[in-house]
Amino acid sequence: MLEGVAAIETRELRKVYRSRAVVDGLTLTVGEGEVFGFLGPNGAGKSTTVKMLLGLVHPSGGEVRVLGGSPADPAVRARLGFLPEQFRFQTWMTGEEFLRFHGRLAGLSAAELRVRAPQVLGTVGLGGRGGEALSGYSKGMLQRVGLAGAILARPRLVFLDEPTSALDPIGRVEVREIIERLRGEGVTVFLNSHLLSEVEQVCDRVAFVKSGRVLRQGSMRELMGGVLPVDLRVDHLSPALLAALAQVGEVRHTDLNTPGRAGAELWLEREDSLPALADAVHAHGARLYALTPRRPDLETLFLELIEGSPEPAPVGEPVRGAARA
Amino acid sequence: MHNALLIAELSLREAVRKRLVVVLLLLTAAFLGFYLYGVFRLEGTLDQRAREAGLDGRSVNGAANLSVMYAAMFGMYLVYFLGVLMAVLSTVGAVSGDVESGVMQSVIARPISRAQLVLGRWLGFTAVNVVYVALVGAALLGGIFLITGFVPPAPLPALALILLAITLVTALTVLGSTLFTTLANGIGVFVLYGAGFAGGILGSIGTFAASPTLTTLGKVANTLMPTNALWLGASYHLQPDVLRQMGEMTRGANPFFGGAPLASGMIVWAAVYALLAVLVAMWQFSRRDL
Repeated sequence: MLEGVAAIETRELRKVYRSRAVVDGLTLTVGEGEVFGFLGPNGAGKSTTVKMLLGLVHPSGGEVRVLGGSPADPAVRARLGFLPEQFRFQTWMTGEEFLRFHGRLAGLSAAELRVRAPQVLGTVGLGGRGGEALSGYSKGMLQRVGLAGAILARPRLVFLDEPTSALDPIGRVEVREIIERLRGEGVTVFLNSHLLSEVEQVCDRVAFVKSGRVLRQGSMRELMGGVLPVDLRVDHLSPALLAALAQVGEVRHTDLNTPGRAGAELWLEREDSLPALADAVHAHGARLYALTPRRPDLETLFLELIEGSPEPAPVGEPVRGAARA
Repeated sequence: MHNALLIAELSLREAVRKRLVVVLLLLTAAFLGFYLYGVFRLEGTLDQRAREAGLDGRSVNGAANLSVMYAAMFGMYLVYFLGVLMAVLSTVGAVSGDVESGVMQSVIARPISRAQLVLGRWLGFTAVNVVYVALVGAALLGGIFLITGFVPPAPLPALALILLAITLVTALTVLGSTLFTTLANGIGVFVLYGAGFAGGILGSIGTFAASPTLTTLGKVANTLMPTNALWLGASYHLQPDVLRQMGEMTRGANPFFGGAPLASGMIVWAAVYALLAVLVAMWQFSRRDL
């Protein structure tokens, strides 16, 4: 059994479609009240995982616990909010009707809804637009009204699947503020996003998935502690200098295309190694133009993890075993 | 049940809002007006001929009024046929349409069971389809009565059988909608309807030609799709004695009119079949990935 207080816990979660494992032994823990980023390349199984956490897709194997119960239980789903990646809704409804329908499904009373629907419309920046039919909404407005639906019934756990894909920069900032407000109210947010900068700004913890497995999960600080990327620009990058640099840190990338200039990107383990880079440049008679440590970011980590990890071997076991593993 | 009723209400509002109801009412009014105008002209012609023949009047249920009776019978056949058509077309995407468009995801993530959703969709569409066919059927028979004074012997049992057929078709279409894509479902249900109709024709020819094989084939098709049998049962209730006697004389050569009341076993089977279809749809949709 899974133990402890967590908003989401999965163990060895699997989903096999026609003998191909889309989610392949995914083990994940999301604590209560966290804003959790779920990252990975296209086709990593992120959306399938979210669908299993919501009970839309039945797992082929493994365990799922959401808010201490099974997502198949309506009482658990009553405390969830969900903004699907493809925010498609009944376009013949008005914004208000859409919220009233979803509110009633979620068990809100009519009196509650009269207060709550205009409130969440205001929160997502659609105040006063609730009387218009969804068929007349722009893509961005549809995504906003979907977000309003996700937070409508005061959920304890909200799944946001690419919540800003149709929004302009202002809309993105507003969504970030909404997520931060949810965090302030103790709501757990499960954020599925390609926008790494967005995840970086709001998430407490992240997990990287590839080929249906979690490569690494942890708090931003834990994950970022690993490497310090440095951009180096010199007039000439001799092989001897390159070898010396490689002793200080890992040379990720070199740029020798610009005449009279050469660049290199290095990953250092510690900030203390920075002066050693300058020393190496001077010792090899090169002239230093720039030595820029970058704040470690998710993109660096993403590339390191996703590009660095080999593709796992294809599912070798027979179909029969895989279907109900 | 509360959630199922909520979905049923949604389906009703959807039908109204998508102009389905308005379009239907307008087209149906056009159909009824056209048909009843024909009956009106027919009645005028018959009256005039009776006067020219020096008759005092015509008996409503006599052989002289056969053409009015046929007009009522075929009118009701059209109501039944249009009702089936409408039931299939309105319901064909009841579940699959929302799955295909992606609307279903945000609905199913709510605390509603999928069985409740399917049940609600069936209830909602059945209400629309049944009320529609009941209104059109009543309007047609009422119009014919006002114009000619003719009332079929048992209009209510006849209408009830037609409505049972509509309920069954709606249930099968909802079932198909949880199994197949919208397009495949539409084709599938119409093929099934065609099988029922073919069964009726085979059975009719089988009786006429006294061929037990054809009669058996007809029975198989009627069991598989009882809609045509339900219509034939309804048509029996609509025929005055003079028409029934004509049917006996021709040994049931008219595959549109039934020569005997419908066996109660068939009525029960049609109702059970509809219920089974909905239950299987509820079960099937619950175990599927979205």
